[in-house]
Amino acid sequence: MTTSTHDFRDRRAPARPTAWVLSMLAWPLSALVPALVPAPAAAQTDPRVLEIIDEVDRLMRGESSTGRMRMEIDTENWSRSLEMSVWSLGTEYSLIRVESPAREAGTATLKVENEVWNYLPRADRTIKIPPSMMLGSWMGSHFTNDDLVKESRLIEDYDIVISFEGDRDGEQVWEFTMTPKPEAPVIWGRIEQQIRKRDRMPLWAHYYDEDGTLSRTITFEDFRSLGGRLVPARTVIQPADEDERTVVIYLELEFDVGLNEDFFSLRNLRARQ
Amino acid sequence: MSRGNHRIWWRIAWRNLWRNRRRTVFTASALSFGFVASVLMIGYMDGIVEELVSNGTRVATGQVRIQAEDYQPELSIHRTMGGREGLDVDALLAAVEAQDGVTGAAPRLYGGGLVSSGDETVGAVLMGVDAAREEAVSRFGSALVAGRMPGPGEIVLGDAMAETVEAEVGDEVVLVAPAADGSTGNDLFSVSGIFSVGVGAYDDSYALLEMGSLAELMAMAPGRIHEVAVSVERIREPDIPANAIREAVAAVSPGLSTEAWSGFLDQLYFIVNYVATFNYVVAVLIFGMAAFGVANAMLIATFERRREFAVARSLGTSGGRIGRIVIYEGILLGLFSLAAGMALAVPLMVYIHNNPIDLSRFVDTYSFVGSAVRPLLTVEYSVWGPFVSALALVTTGVVSALLPAWRAVRIPPADVLANR
Repeated sequence: MTTSTHDFRDRRAPARPTAWVLSMLAWPLSALVPALVPAPAAAQTDPRVLEIIDEVDRLMRGESSTGRMRMEIDTENWSRSLEMSVWSLGTEYSLIRVESPAREAGTATLKVENEVWNYLPRADRTIKIPPSMMLGSWMGSHFTNDDLVKESRLIEDYDIVISFEGDRDGEQVWEFTMTPKPEAPVIWGRIEQQIRKRDRMPLWAHYYDEDGTLSRTITFEDFRSLGGRLVPARTVIQPADEDERTVVIYLELEFDVGLNEDFFSLRNLRARQ
Repeated sequence: MSRGNHRIWWRIAWRNLWRNRRRTVFTASALSFGFVASVLMIGYMDGIVEELVSNGTRVATGQVRIQAEDYQPELSIHRTMGGREGLDVDALLAAVEAQDGVTGAAPRLYGGGLVSSGDETVGAVLMGVDAAREEAVSRFGSALVAGRMPGPGEIVLGDAMAETVEAEVGDEVVLVAPAADGSTGNDLFSVSGIFSVGVGAYDDSYALLEMGSLAELMAMAPGRIHEVAVSVERIREPDIPANAIREAVAAVSPGLSTEAWSGFLDQLYFIVNYVATFNYVVAVLIFGMAAFGVANAMLIATFERRREFAVARSLGTSGGRIGRIVIYEGILLGLFSLAAGMALAVPLMVYIHNNPIDLSRFVDTYSFVGSAVRPLLTVEYSVWGPFVSALALVTTGVVSALLPAWRAVRIPPADVLANR
């Protein structure tokens, strides 16, 4: 039949499972390396990579943080800017609440380990994101819900080698190439990331699909001290095939704010503060 | 040949016809019944077509629809009429309604979303409407089984959807829908009514909201709509008003696409044309069979009158004239049968039209190509059906007379009179 059916096809192109996106949203430093426990299974991973990861991990483990960020989304059809408050504990817990614009104020996302809930204030509804919607866009941005939860799995899912070490444009860097392990439940064919040696800040990450075509690029910019730490204050995610982008800018960050797991509850998800 | 002379051949033919009254009545009956059968069959098929077109276009789509050129086939919520700025909806509606044959025009905003009540959630097509204008275009208003059309903050659900989410009039439902600014529109709506149009696609997946409420949910500026659905007087011939509308709306806003249902319900259009063609096949089949019977009877009648024709020929009547008498007999037989058939068919049609035979005990309503047909044995009045049948009938009379006429012309007078 030809009766019109209207669907959701205008949604952002589904983004893919990837790593450390939460990191970019709520945990800037761990963006460097997601994960934490040096994975014993990572037989193919370069031991030096594990060393770097371990070093950052020690720095970040168990950290709590809070802050404010602005997310600017530019798409073919609309542009929108959101200001949000963020709380996080390690890489497993985070709570993000929209403060403005008024239309969306109170909209919130809670991430606890591998699960994500959204709170819709006007309807007063809490929605647990089902597996089928994990690849859907998060708040209309170029991030997916999956990006929120996959960040700690990088070492488990990929073999990581140092594919370049040395000078790039006058900066000493490492370049990691990550290829998925044979049975890993991921859809990227390859991820490349550049990290500068002097302060271990990530500079960019390229995501390739299974055919080896560049799918999206994440760029880290504006390194500055926030809450007493050096962070990339500006993160840009850009799909390769569209003239669109999402920019996340940290406005404020504080570390060691003494949050514990209890803070990351469904009750707090709904609370307007 | 003078006019008076001419008439005499018709009279001879008419009298010849009634020399064997019983045979003529039987022969004429074959043709009359053929006519009745043909008219009723075509009327019945027309009835189905009428119902298909009516259900296919009167339920929701209207017979003509206007959308942004790039709205189809993706139905993106961003592809509103007049582009991102929208257009002057009132001016557009006025331009459409000023066209001949247009009976109504209704603006619509479409979105997709989730409707939840309690623990149940279903995906829905959200349709923002102007309730007063929908009356002239769609059946949603007249198909309400409870409550009324939606006002601000209200929603009307199809009955199947209402059942799925266990919602009744007065209940609150939650709507979550992707909005045009990339946010997730969400709000509570009160169920003001439940409709049942009888076409599954609508009853289980359409929800109607007041235009402004849906625009707010979807963060759409006023003046942004996806469609204007237009109803026209002659639903089977939407192309003429569609062309006029196309020209009229081009003056209001560029980039609009105006399409008649023959385009956007192309499968239905195919079926309708198919049935129309099939009507000819029916007529040809029925009268084809009758033709052989009639020809046979007339051959016998001609054979019986061999001597008579031979005498006429001997007295100076030309062969052509003899043949013409037989042809006239065929024409007169046809006209007589037609009169008898009409006398039978017209009351029958009126009766069945007014008293459709309900077959719902045996068959369910079935939906296809976006429409539906009720199990009613009914006939639709038409001029075309009887006209085609009448033409077929008289043609049959004439064609059936051709061979006998040829035989009559070829009679050798001397041999026949000499009984050789």
